[in-house]
Amino acid sequence: MRDSSLEKGGARIHEHVLENGLRVLLAERHLDPVVAVMLWYRAGARNETEKEAGVSHFLEHMMFKGSARYGKGAIDRITTTLGGTNNAFTTADHTAYWFEFASDRWESALEVEADRMRALLLDPAEFEAEKQVVLEELAQGEDDPWRVLSQEVQSALFPRHPYRRPVIGYSDTLKALGPGEMRDYYERFYHPGNAVLVVSGDIDPARALAAVKQHLGSIPAGKPYREADAFRAPAEAQRGEQRLTLRWDDEARRLCIAWPTVALGTDEDCILDLVSTLLAGGRLSRLYRRLVIEERCATSISVHNDTRVESGCFWLFAECAQGTQPAELERRIDAELERLARVPVARAELARAKRIIAAGEAHDAESVSDLAEDLGEFAIDADWRLALRTLERIQRTSAEEVRRTVAKLLVPDRRVVGWCLPQEKRKTR
Amino acid sequence: MIAPGLPRLELPIERFELSCGAQLLVSPRPQATIAAVSVHVRGGPALDPAGREGLAFLTGSLVDQGTAAHDEEELAALLEPEGGEVGGDAAGVSGSIVNERWELLLESLAEMTVAPAYPSDKVELHRQRLLDRLLVERDDPRVQGGQLFRKLVYGAHWLGRAAYGTRASVAKIGARELRAHHRRNWVARRGVIAVCGQVDPQAVRRRAERLFARWPTGTPLQTTPPRFPARAVRSGVFPSKRAQVHVYLGHLGIQRNHPDYAALVVLDHVLGTGPGFTNRIARILRDELGLAYSVNANIHGSAGILPGMFTAYIGTSPDKVRTAVEGFRREIVRIQEEPVGQEELEVAKSYLVGSFPLGFERAARRASYMISAEVHGFPPDYLERLLESFAAVTREDVQRVARQHLHPRQCVLAAAGPLAKAEVGRLARP
Repeated sequence: MRDSSLEKGGARIHEHVLENGLRVLLAERHLDPVVAVMLWYRAGARNETEKEAGVSHFLEHMMFKGSARYGKGAIDRITTTLGGTNNAFTTADHTAYWFEFASDRWESALEVEADRMRALLLDPAEFEAEKQVVLEELAQGEDDPWRVLSQEVQSALFPRHPYRRPVIGYSDTLKALGPGEMRDYYERFYHPGNAVLVVSGDIDPARALAAVKQHLGSIPAGKPYREADAFRAPAEAQRGEQRLTLRWDDEARRLCIAWPTVALGTDEDCILDLVSTLLAGGRLSRLYRRLVIEERCATSISVHNDTRVESGCFWLFAECAQGTQPAELERRIDAELERLARVPVARAELARAKRIIAAGEAHDAESVSDLAEDLGEFAIDADWRLALRTLERIQRTSAEEVRRTVAKLLVPDRRVVGWCLPQEKRKTR
Repeated sequence: MIAPGLPRLELPIERFELSCGAQLLVSPRPQATIAAVSVHVRGGPALDPAGREGLAFLTGSLVDQGTAAHDEEELAALLEPEGGEVGGDAAGVSGSIVNERWELLLESLAEMTVAPAYPSDKVELHRQRLLDRLLVERDDPRVQGGQLFRKLVYGAHWLGRAAYGTRASVAKIGARELRAHHRRNWVARRGVIAVCGQVDPQAVRRRAERLFARWPTGTPLQTTPPRFPARAVRSGVFPSKRAQVHVYLGHLGIQRNHPDYAALVVLDHVLGTGPGFTNRIARILRDELGLAYSVNANIHGSAGILPGMFTAYIGTSPDKVRTAVEGFRREIVRIQEEPVGQEELEVAKSYLVGSFPLGFERAARRASYMISAEVHGFPPDYLERLLESFAAVTREDVQRVARQHLHPRQCVLAAAGPLAKAEVGRLARP
């Protein structure tokens, strides 16, 4: 069993790996009498076959619908009775389950997680009932123009890789999915060797580790990830700019531009965090200041460095101001990006962006759940120490590195440009 | 069955009256990494003159666009590198920052409160952004459905209007009006300042005394008794070609200081807000019938100085709307006619008592609680009393308050999405 410790967000972090392969992170902080427990599985939309599209997220729903010791509804009932809260979420790379409890009763979360890790029921009647809920969730997303637009852009950005698919799947794949296929997926990925457990907050690390071993230490390791995972083509590089246009029955002109980038935790990932702060982090950032405040051609603008395990996307979202032509907004965005790719950013501007990111670390670890999420996400996708090292890497980034990264990655012939425009009849109004 | 020995929530509050007339509340929080400051000004959208809806919102949201001492860029340059985040609305202005810079945040918010500049070019810019947003929201069924519901419940009262105003009203508001509205209404006697962080209350008091010294004292807020339409069946539809229909069923609710508040919170958790599937509406409409991903019902959440609303909401496919509305009504009637089960009552109460500390991890949440406690006149031991009130609620209490405060035969129904007006009218009739 390995053990090491470091600090983040005022918490002392201890790492352990159990004999069955379960990685355990214990983050000890006594600010409030509260503990967050997050269990992460390396199982997301990326790990699905074409036919299984949506199974990771659907399985996340089914994890609340009954296991050997906890019948349907029991997990919510126990959590609630103990005055706790729970939830879960699925991404392209992983699925995470979260509890928050007062610090004298958090170990109940371990009992629940142990049971549903090894003995999920997947009752066929419950499966069909929950499928209707997932289909309604999908329909809800189809009514959100930003979600529809960004999904179309993502599909174009990754023509062959599973990152092109929506995490929720498609209605046809969901309708065709049966409990047997979900059981197969669950058995491939839901075991200690493919999971990370984070316990953060008001804990005694030695006692916490003993509790983790007691509840989760005897579960068999399961099939190695490499054998369980399906083959997929690498996330290929973009060849030439792609453009798409959707129509929506409102007056907004929404723009979504995305570039394929790099994997999580690489040097360029850290530099892209800095780039996103320079472009749209705060009121003095370049795109906000020029496009929203000075030239008034956008009503909102944001960027997001979305790096993932096998590749990444750099997203830019903007809404065109009424009275500005979409092409004009795009031209001005291009001009700012081209300037960042050509001229090294001034020392004071770079220092300011670094300070914004550093100060943001305190906000990002204010609650025990914030802390557990930050550590767990890095741990399941790459290495939890990146949660600590990223800031250090950003601090030593030079203006030339920023320029070079933008010139290499955020150029027109690597991107997908998507517009969501008013329906044709509205254009003349 | 309530879990014994729960860790206590420590929320000490020291209260001061500043020379200018504003109330200052300070909650020291040892080891906090983030500090929060909130300045609340009583009044809000209630003070919007007819035809100028959105005035209070713009007055509050644009205080950060420059002050007598700093322009907007200078404020951003001071605050952002320290993790400072600031935002205003019709009720005041608030923000958070890394704890060691709490004085900078307090200083900035004091400037924005006492001497905002409302520069004409910035006002015009943000007014236009709001107009653009309102234009887009004009076709958004979720926004319009919610707005229609408020209007059906509150009628012509200001609570039935959009707090951001309308395109027609916002178009008439300029910098001069914002300055006048601020001068008349942002006065110290209506102000409450809350500070939470790793701070010394006396040091905060000394600093605040100096920073708010020039805040005009003004007069307390004068209010008139509200008038709302009588409870009755009314309906409306916002037609839209989308995949789902947003359905809102409900009526006028209660004030926050109503003696039945605690029992109604418990009722809500049994009926429509308990986490996951512990509430009946999620368990039956979502889990058993598979009607929706988003479904809930609640009467306590919107209770304020003025009455809130009882709202049952679902986003569902058009072919499932009838089943959903019938399901809402059936569950409301059931909780009135049958005492709730002992187990579901205890689950709801345990959650309410036990989860309370979880909601207070963030400094901003603590600051907003302090404001709310001051505005509603809660006593210093209110949180303890509230938890005791939750624990004391009985099955009979829940049934009594369900009968007294829920009115399934006098509901308004608003729907937004692909549904015909006639169908909505039929569904509205019990």
